[in-house]
Amino acid sequence: MTQMLQRTPGTQSAFSAYQVRLSCAFMGLGQLFCRQFTKGALLMLLEVGFILFLVFAGVDNIIGLFTLGTTEGVPIMGIEGDNSISMLAWGITTIFLVLLFALAYYANIKDVIYTIGEIRKGNRVKNFFESCRTLFNQKFYFLTLTLPLVFVCIFNIMPIVFTALVAFTNYGGEVVPPRLVSWTGFQSFRVIFTMSEYIGTMGKILAWNILWAVGSTFLVYFGGLGLALLYNAKCLKFKRFWRVFPMFAYAIPSFITLTGFYFMFCDSGPIVGLLKDWGWVSENFTIISYDSKWSLRLLGFFCCAWIGVPSVMFLATGILSNVNKEMYEAARLDGANGFQQFLYLTLPFVLFATTPVIISTFINQFNNFSIFYFLRPETVYAPGYFNANSSDLLINWMYNLTVENGLYSLGSALSLILFAFMAIFSLIAYVTSPAYKKEDTYR
Amino acid sequence: MRKALHFRPDRALRTALVYALVLLVSFVFAFPCIWLVLSAFNAEGDLLTLEGFFPQTYSFDTFRRLFTEITKYDYPRWFGNTLFVAAVSCVISTFLVIAVAYTISRYRFKSRKAMMKATLILGIFPNFMNMTALFVIMTQLHLINNLWGLILLYSSGSTMGFLVQKGFFDTIPGTIYDAATLDGASDFRVFVSITLPLAKPMIVYTALTSFVWPWADFMLPSMLLIDKSSWTVAVGLNSLDDSEFSIFAAGSMFVAVPIIVLYVALSKYLIQGGSAGAVKD
Repeated sequence: MTQMLQRTPGTQSAFSAYQVRLSCAFMGLGQLFCRQFTKGALLMLLEVGFILFLVFAGVDNIIGLFTLGTTEGVPIMGIEGDNSISMLAWGITTIFLVLLFALAYYANIKDVIYTIGEIRKGNRVKNFFESCRTLFNQKFYFLTLTLPLVFVCIFNIMPIVFTALVAFTNYGGEVVPPRLVSWTGFQSFRVIFTMSEYIGTMGKILAWNILWAVGSTFLVYFGGLGLALLYNAKCLKFKRFWRVFPMFAYAIPSFITLTGFYFMFCDSGPIVGLLKDWGWVSENFTIISYDSKWSLRLLGFFCCAWIGVPSVMFLATGILSNVNKEMYEAARLDGANGFQQFLYLTLPFVLFATTPVIISTFINQFNNFSIFYFLRPETVYAPGYFNANSSDLLINWMYNLTVENGLYSLGSALSLILFAFMAIFSLIAYVTSPAYKKEDTYR
Repeated sequence: MRKALHFRPDRALRTALVYALVLLVSFVFAFPCIWLVLSAFNAEGDLLTLEGFFPQTYSFDTFRRLFTEITKYDYPRWFGNTLFVAAVSCVISTFLVIAVAYTISRYRFKSRKAMMKATLILGIFPNFMNMTALFVIMTQLHLINNLWGLILLYSSGSTMGFLVQKGFFDTIPGTIYDAATLDGASDFRVFVSITLPLAKPMIVYTALTSFVWPWADFMLPSMLLIDKSSWTVAVGLNSLDDSEFSIFAAGSMFVAVPIIVLYVALSKYLIQGGSAGAVKD
């Protein structure tokens, strides 16, 4: 067979060889007829397994994704109905598997076309062992990326798809299994944008959230930069020793820091107690309570700086050590004073080098969940807010809606709105950043 | 005499100012830590009994209670769970992150840019919003109350952060690889015997950060670990209220001190690693 093909080189394109058609019909057949028996058999097994999966579970799963269950369960009467939520999860999983299989099918056809091309050129067909060895060579990326991709699909992409789909159902509140969940289209979005308690709360929280993100990014970034410059000062001795203190703040897990600060500033804590003992404040003074707006927000800024400044400081220290010393020498000879050197040399350099850091800090602060989760007063929600405190960020509000009050579809819809906003912002910021454009500088 | 001649008041003032600022900053950072440590030695555990900042009488009683009153707070068990999760996910994620970052940095294949953009988009999706979904998925996989479920989540989660490490690999000149390939080394060989030794600071940095995340994380375990015996330290300590303040303080010490020691000992790598990934010329 091989010889026959060799005798008529170039008369046919590789696409129309009968092996290619066989592989289009059934995975692995073409490989068998190219004498790649092990590979062919494995591929055929894969297709048989996939068909069996579809017959026994897959088709039902996909139908379930559209119906979300037909028989409602009544636990008291012992009727076990359909669980809409697990049907949703398995439906998504099945769609993923189908897509994955389609990808494998495509790869299988491409593989036969490649092999036929090699035969036409008169090369020997690779046996199974040799095919495996290319994984360690030209296709090394295939080897290293497969497992992480599978992980990311299951634990990062699938939950996002799930959340996105939940936004278009009525899941949440009263409607939880064993009751049946159904598709309701844009109902949740309509509720968010038309009901006054939602839109009012969202407006207030969004305004505070933007203020928080800008303010805390500014605070953390310039605080860190300032500290780095301070610790870099020539007249400071024992630099390593002094740097240990911010290292503390950097190293302590933030749940400990924040709970510690909560205990320090809460009603029974020492700060409020001392202020009362000294008679500086009235007896019912509190820092953390459900209607304390600015005292709690300021405390949030303080804690955020305490936690965030050291990491920016270490980053900036690393960058400052890369600054070209001769520039400063030249500037000094030209008569620039210390402040001018900082303004025209240090600042532009550091700002340029850390643009990605500013962007990522901004995104992290915008979605900073832990600060106002650990610092929040116990339980009660503030008046004028729907299921939120006056210091809550959007992400805290979503947590309150979903995890604490079970309003899943509303929370999901909210997160989709927020996500669209953030995605556009950061993609633009990233694509226009010098780090992305010039990634090949050192090549 | 010479020194006196060169004495300049403005410079002395600046030095004094720098030292004053440094002392102030050190105080702000050190005070809460000192407060927490001393509170752990408080003879009375309640936050309300504190007069001013510091305890009246000191004792080791809290530590005895922390390790013996197992029915109330099973601290040794929580600690063991945390250590197990953090150590295993550290090994897995370091391996995965380094491999992925190297691959994305070195190879040019079709879906490469798309993958980098997708990573960025996935990264900004609010973390906990996945959590309702994660909870459902983990229930279906029977991984609730299971430490391996957490390990899987941390490993896949930290793989998403490969861009820092990729930035580091971008700075290794391609000519080194070309030379090795000319000498007949396979791509796998190049990775093991050239890239890995060069990337040692980055590996230390990656290992450290991927150990610390599970060690200090609160959200995922609080969602996925319901059984008290499977709790990690973060969940356990957070369940204590202000009447058990000194237990909280003592328990935190065993969580924070190893990390501080690691960070101080490896601070060189931290500064190098963090800036290597971020700095671009």
